[in-house]
Amino acid sequence: MLKDKIEKHLLEVQKPSRYIGGEVGSVIKDKSKVDVRFAFCFPDTYDIGMSHLGMKILYSLTNERENYWCERCFAPSEDFEAVMRENDIPLYALESLDPIKDFDFIGFTMQYELSYANVLNMLDLAGIPIFSKDRTQELTQIVIAGGPCVCNPEPLADFFDICVLGEGEEVNLELMDLYYELKKEGATRDEFLRKACQIEGVYVPKFYEFVYKDDGTIDHIETTNGAPEVIRKRIIRDLDKVYYPDNFVVPFTEIVQDRVSVEVLRGCIRGCRFCQAGFIYRPFREKHAETVCRSAKNLCKNTGYDEISLASLSTSDHSEIDPMLTKLLDYTVSEKINLSLPSLRVDNFSESLLEKIKRVRKSGLTFAAEGGTQRLRDVINKNVSEEEIMNTCRIAFEGGYSSVKLYFMMGLPTETDEDIVGIAELANRIIDLYYSIENRPKGRGVQISISCATFVPKPFTPFQFEPQDTREMIEHKQKLLLDSIKTKKIKVSYHNPDVSMLEVILAKGDRRLCKAVYAAWKKGCKFDSWDEYFHFDKWLEAFEECGIDTSFYANRRFEYDEILPWDHLDYLVSKEFLVRENKTARQSKTTPNCRLRCSGCGVNKKVGRECF
Amino acid sequence: MFLIRVRATFEKCGRAKYISHLDLNRCMLRTFRRSRLPIWYTEGFNPHPYYSFALALSLGFESSCEILDFNLNEDIPFDEIKDKLNSVMPEGMRIIKVAEQKQKITAIAKAEYSFSLVSDAVDSLYADVNKLIASPEILIEKKTKKGIKTVDIKPDMEILTCNKTERSVDISMYLPAGTQTNYNPTLFIEALKKTTDIAFETENIRRTAILCADNTVFE
Repeated sequence: MLKDKIEKHLLEVQKPSRYIGGEVGSVIKDKSKVDVRFAFCFPDTYDIGMSHLGMKILYSLTNERENYWCERCFAPSEDFEAVMRENDIPLYALESLDPIKDFDFIGFTMQYELSYANVLNMLDLAGIPIFSKDRTQELTQIVIAGGPCVCNPEPLADFFDICVLGEGEEVNLELMDLYYELKKEGATRDEFLRKACQIEGVYVPKFYEFVYKDDGTIDHIETTNGAPEVIRKRIIRDLDKVYYPDNFVVPFTEIVQDRVSVEVLRGCIRGCRFCQAGFIYRPFREKHAETVCRSAKNLCKNTGYDEISLASLSTSDHSEIDPMLTKLLDYTVSEKINLSLPSLRVDNFSESLLEKIKRVRKSGLTFAAEGGTQRLRDVINKNVSEEEIMNTCRIAFEGGYSSVKLYFMMGLPTETDEDIVGIAELANRIIDLYYSIENRPKGRGVQISISCATFVPKPFTPFQFEPQDTREMIEHKQKLLLDSIKTKKIKVSYHNPDVSMLEVILAKGDRRLCKAVYAAWKKGCKFDSWDEYFHFDKWLEAFEECGIDTSFYANRRFEYDEILPWDHLDYLVSKEFLVRENKTARQSKTTPNCRLRCSGCGVNKKVGRECF
Repeated sequence: MFLIRVRATFEKCGRAKYISHLDLNRCMLRTFRRSRLPIWYTEGFNPHPYYSFALALSLGFESSCEILDFNLNEDIPFDEIKDKLNSVMPEGMRIIKVAEQKQKITAIAKAEYSFSLVSDAVDSLYADVNKLIASPEILIEKKTKKGIKTVDIKPDMEILTCNKTERSVDISMYLPAGTQTNYNPTLFIEALKKTTDIAFETENIRRTAILCADNTVFE
């Protein structure tokens, strides 16, 4: 029994409850009565993966089907991985404690580029061939992937049998149904894949061959096995009616998002030009306030959580936000539940909303200003004026806050030194504002925290064509910002630019990167999103050994008429629109949000209905 | 203010032994909330349900006698409290008894533990265990807030049974517990490791009773 083997060593490792299952809310089935087994793998540790909302939805949804069983699987931390390798414990799922190599589907959710190496490590720990081509023809161990990163899955194309584009609620079950039918008929892996690729949203990478030009760009893509030339992502048409779980697995150990999380909307009306989520999750769809409240109550009742967060890209854009919060707060206050509201935008942050948040708990205020000058904020279409930022800060200060956190990006398209100095100047004006307010918090100084990330151009955004700043350029800008700050009331922190560089290579890379991802993993790369495990030198070695010029992906402008590695994937937003938006950005012109005026991204035409 | 003081005895076995004391706190909070019992909340700035565990249990230990005290705003039959909690407890945790709080927590003086030492050479191990038990003092190094100090656990340790089976030596003992002195059975096991050459592994460490100074069960 694997359980005994695991238990024998469990007390040797940190937070053992992450590795043994048995949590309240986990679904146990009789495996002799189950036809299809799905291992939902999150390529990071339990603490992070258990916070992922998509897993909770698809886990419960799949388990509603009596004869399908979805289980959870996470990357073990270093200490437990050592125990597993030493004692021949294969990667296993937490419900049955059975090895995932015996499962029908091994599904990875790809949330960020820096988890790519973990996928390889998990497949290796599981004893599953890492390359799709090395897996048997027998119909078993189908390795599939979903999540935002599969909008350009090419750097992982050699490892996945299937990528599922878009929202998984319907297509996952369709795939499992097909599998179940073909399994009964004794079909092979390829027979299954040939049929699967006919399902909308299903991409089988090995049925596509890339032909490159001499300059390294893509000449054309050849499809084989009757696979469609363009694969369109799936969406749920009526978000209000889509399945939402009324129970979550409640972990024993503390996880990153340790609370009830209720989805309020999908998509975003804003169109910030750097934001991938803002484009790949279109169209904008809402749940009714009633539906949200019902889910929140059910989940609190069944899990025992005393905290709720509302999940969306921009909660305050919900058309029923006020009645929704009023209704939710009536419930949460009477039940002594905390309601936390992330993703607040500065431009519609009203006094009444602040009052509502304050009724619950006073925590820090964070605003994403992104750019230091109005010109740059217009370039990125962050439709926020300085007046609005100031107004928001004023409301916050008058409401008793004395510290504000501001997020910025560095290396944005068209950015100049003036924009960098503008960050410091903006922070200075906020300080001045604080001291000009008569009823500011008494006896407290103001504290402005500035957090600077390096801009990463991403597929399916108007900035997908843009190069990333080189390391030298970023270092210059960082120094410039530090030199521009003369007060201790402003604190600055940076993200490591090497991390952002790896991110852009993996985000915009093509299929030729697969061998480098493999080489980097072989060199020991994993958990790249964790500072202590990030070894950029090993990645650079891997790229070099595989003959990959990183600047080709990171620092080159992709041409408008160039075939991009993700052009055969259809995320509903048209390329013409992205080109148009890119050109508009270069003129420092903004595009109004979708509610004010349709910007013609093409989604409504493909979906066949108006967005509003 | 109307307030019912309740003492629950619960077991923590199987996979539940991997729930750390810190995690157990959070776990119990959620269990109470799932049970919908009218638990009394503290009335400070940040109201939270009041409950406390009499003795912390080490990670990896099982127990059949953990004590949990809490207050309720309504008078609810003990059996109903027990059933409501048990219907929402995690796997491996079960309320055995709900009763009033008879004694103060300070009345706790000792705890009973049992464990098995598994070895390929049971006979030799059994001899070494007995030798250690019979020795005039058992010195161990105990970590305290002031640093490591050497302590003789022999005077406070009371061996109840020490039996040999085909694969293991099974021991049960009393050790001091409570607000004053707390000895963990692993101290004895560490001492044994120093005095024997026989390789063994410890299995099934279990707290089986929480007792007062006169060896009666704490209630």
